[in-house]
Amino acid sequence: MAVKALLNGRVGTALMMALIFLAMTLFAIGLPEKARLMPLMVGIPGSLLGIVQLVVEIRGTIRNGPPEVTAERRKAELGMYLWVLLFFLGILGFGFIYGATALVFAFMVFGTRERLLTAVISAIATWAVLYGVFEEGLQIVLFKGLVLGHLMG
Amino acid sequence: MDFGGIFSALTEILGTPQYLLLLFIAVPVGLLFGAMPGLGGKLAIVLVIPFVFGMDATAGALFLIAMHSVVHTGGAVPSILFGVPGTGPDAATIVDGLPMTQRGEAGRALGASFAASGLGGIIGGLFLLAMLPVLRPVVLAFSPAEFFLLALFGITFIAMLSGNSLIKGLLVGFFGLMLAFVRLDPQTGAQRYTFDQLFLWDGIDIITGVLGIFAIPEMIAFGIAGGSMAQVSGKGASFGMAGVFNGMLDVLRHWKLAIRTSLIGSIIGLIPGLGGDAASWICYGHAVQSSKTPERFGKGAVEGVIAPETANNAKEGGALLPTLFFAVPGSSGMAIMLGAFVMLGIQPGPALALNHMDIVWTLMWGLMLANILAVVMFILLAPSFSYLSYVRAELLVPFVFVLTFLGAFLSHMAWQNMVLLVILGFLGYFLKKYGWPRPPFVIGLILGPIAEDSFHKAMALWGLAFMLRPGAIVMIALIVLSIGVYIWRAAKSKRNGRVMTEEEIHGG
Repeated sequence: MAVKALLNGRVGTALMMALIFLAMTLFAIGLPEKARLMPLMVGIPGSLLGIVQLVVEIRGTIRNGPPEVTAERRKAELGMYLWVLLFFLGILGFGFIYGATALVFAFMVFGTRERLLTAVISAIATWAVLYGVFEEGLQIVLFKGLVLGHLMG
Repeated sequence: MDFGGIFSALTEILGTPQYLLLLFIAVPVGLLFGAMPGLGGKLAIVLVIPFVFGMDATAGALFLIAMHSVVHTGGAVPSILFGVPGTGPDAATIVDGLPMTQRGEAGRALGASFAASGLGGIIGGLFLLAMLPVLRPVVLAFSPAEFFLLALFGITFIAMLSGNSLIKGLLVGFFGLMLAFVRLDPQTGAQRYTFDQLFLWDGIDIITGVLGIFAIPEMIAFGIAGGSMAQVSGKGASFGMAGVFNGMLDVLRHWKLAIRTSLIGSIIGLIPGLGGDAASWICYGHAVQSSKTPERFGKGAVEGVIAPETANNAKEGGALLPTLFFAVPGSSGMAIMLGAFVMLGIQPGPALALNHMDIVWTLMWGLMLANILAVVMFILLAPSFSYLSYVRAELLVPFVFVLTFLGAFLSHMAWQNMVLLVILGFLGYFLKKYGWPRPPFVIGLILGPIAEDSFHKAMALWGLAFMLRPGAIVMIALIVLSIGVYIWRAAKSKRNGRVMTEEEIHGG
C-alpha cells in the first residue's frame, strides 16, 4: 500500500494523539522532580498506548483501505473549518459587539445564502443580546478585540 | 431535632409575601444565569450582591440560595439542545442529552432533566436536614488520602465510558489528565506546560475544555450535515408536552438511580474541594456502571441525563452544610456565597447552630422550594425549548458559535481561552469523526488536579501508609470492585457475543 494512503484522518488523529503524549512526556522530564511525577505517571503509559493505537490504525488502513470521503463532504468540512476560524479571528480582532454581530450577518449571507432580511434581523438580535443584555443589563465588559481595542486606545 | 422550628420556617416563607416574591424573582434569574454558557452561579451571586445589600439578612440569604440552587437546572437546557453546557457540571448531561435531541426526543430529555434536577434539589435539602447531627465526624473523616482515592475512583470510570475501544477511551482520558497538569505545580510552584502564559497558571479552564471538546465539534458536524438538530421529521418530530411528561415519568421509572445519584451528589457536595463537576461525572459513571445495558450510554440513554442532573442539584444541599456550620465552603460558588452571607450579617460557623437555626431552616426550605418552582417554570417552557431543536442549522450555528466563544471568554474573562477553544475544538471534531469517546477527557480534566493535590498532601502527611487509613481502605475496595465489575462485564459480553435488541435500546 502506498504511503499516501496512510495519510488519512484516522491515522492522522492517532498520530496526533501519540505525538501529543510523546511531546508532553519528553517535556516533563525537564521539570523539577516533584512537578514531573504525575505527568510522567500518565504520560509514559499514554505514549505507549498512543503508539499502540497508531499501529492499530495503520494496520486497519492497510487491511481495509483509507476511509472514503466524497468531494462534496470534504468541501462542506473545509467550509465549516473556515467559518470556525473566521469567527475566531473576527472576535479576536474586533470583539464580541462588532465582530460577532458582523460574522453572524456574514455567515447567513455568504455561508448559507439566507434572505438579506433574515441576516439583518439575526445580526441585530445578536447585537441586542451582546450589548443590551451583557454590557448594559449585566454590566459585563465584553472583549473589545485586539485590533479594535488597539485602535480605540 | 426541633421539628417545630423546622416547620415554622416553612410556614414563615409561605406566609410572607416578600419571601415569596423574592423566590419568584430569584428562580428565573438563576435559571437564566445557568442557561447562558460561561455565566453560571458564581457570577450570578457576584452580580446580585448589590441588589441584596441592605435587605433583611434572612431575605437576602434566601434570595441568594434560591437563585444559586437552580443554576444547574437552567444549565441543562443548552447542553441537551445544542451540546453547549450552560455550566461546568452540566457537561455530563450532553453525553446522552444531545443524542436524545438528535433522535427527536428533546422534550423527553428536558422533562427528565427538570424532574431529576428538582428531585435532586429536594433530596439535597432533606440530606442537609438529616446530616446535621452527624455532620462533624463525616466531614472530618475525609482527609487528603480519601480525596485522592475518591478522585482515582472517578478516574476508573474512564474505562466504563470508553465504549467499544478501551485504548481510545484511556488515551482520551489520559489526555484530559495531561491537560489538567498544565498549571503551576502546586508543590514547587514551577511552571508546567504554561510557556509563560499567565492565563494557564491556574490550569486549563474546564468550561473552555468542555466547550472545545463538545460544542465546537457538534456545531461543525451540525453545519456539515445541515437540517435540524433533531434528525427526524414528520411523525417522529415531537415538541409537545407529552414528551416532557414522558421524560418526567422516566425519573420515576428510574427512581432507585435518581435517589442513589442524589445522595452521592449530596455527599460529594458535603466534601469541600470536590465540586459539582466531579459530582456529575462520578454519578454519570455510576449510572453506566450500574446499568444492565451500559452499551446504550452515549447514544441517548435517559439515565445518562437523570444521573448528572440529580447530582449537580443535590450537591448544593450538601455544599451548604460545611459552608454554614464550619465556614468552609463546599464549592467555589459556596465560597462566594460565604462572603455574601457575611456581608448580609450572617456569620457562618459553629455559633450559627447554637443561635440562628431559624436561618438554616429557612435556607433549607428556600433551596427545596426554589427547585420545585424551577421545575414548574421550566416544564411550562419545555415545549418551546424543544422546538429549538427543529430550527435549521443555517440559522442556529452562527448563534451557537457566538455563545460558545462567549462562554470561553466569560469563564475567566481571558481572550486567550478562545485560542484554546479553537485548538481543542478542531481536535474534538477529529475525535468525534473517527469514533474516539470524548467523555473520558472531561473526567481526566476535572479529577486530575484533585488527584494530584491530594496525593502530594497525603504523601507528605502519612507517606504510603495513607492507604491503610480506614476510609482509604473503603475507597480502595470500591476501586477494586469498580474495575472488577468492568472486567467481569467485558468478559461476559465477549463470551455471549451479545447484540442488543431494539427493545433493549429504547426500553429504559
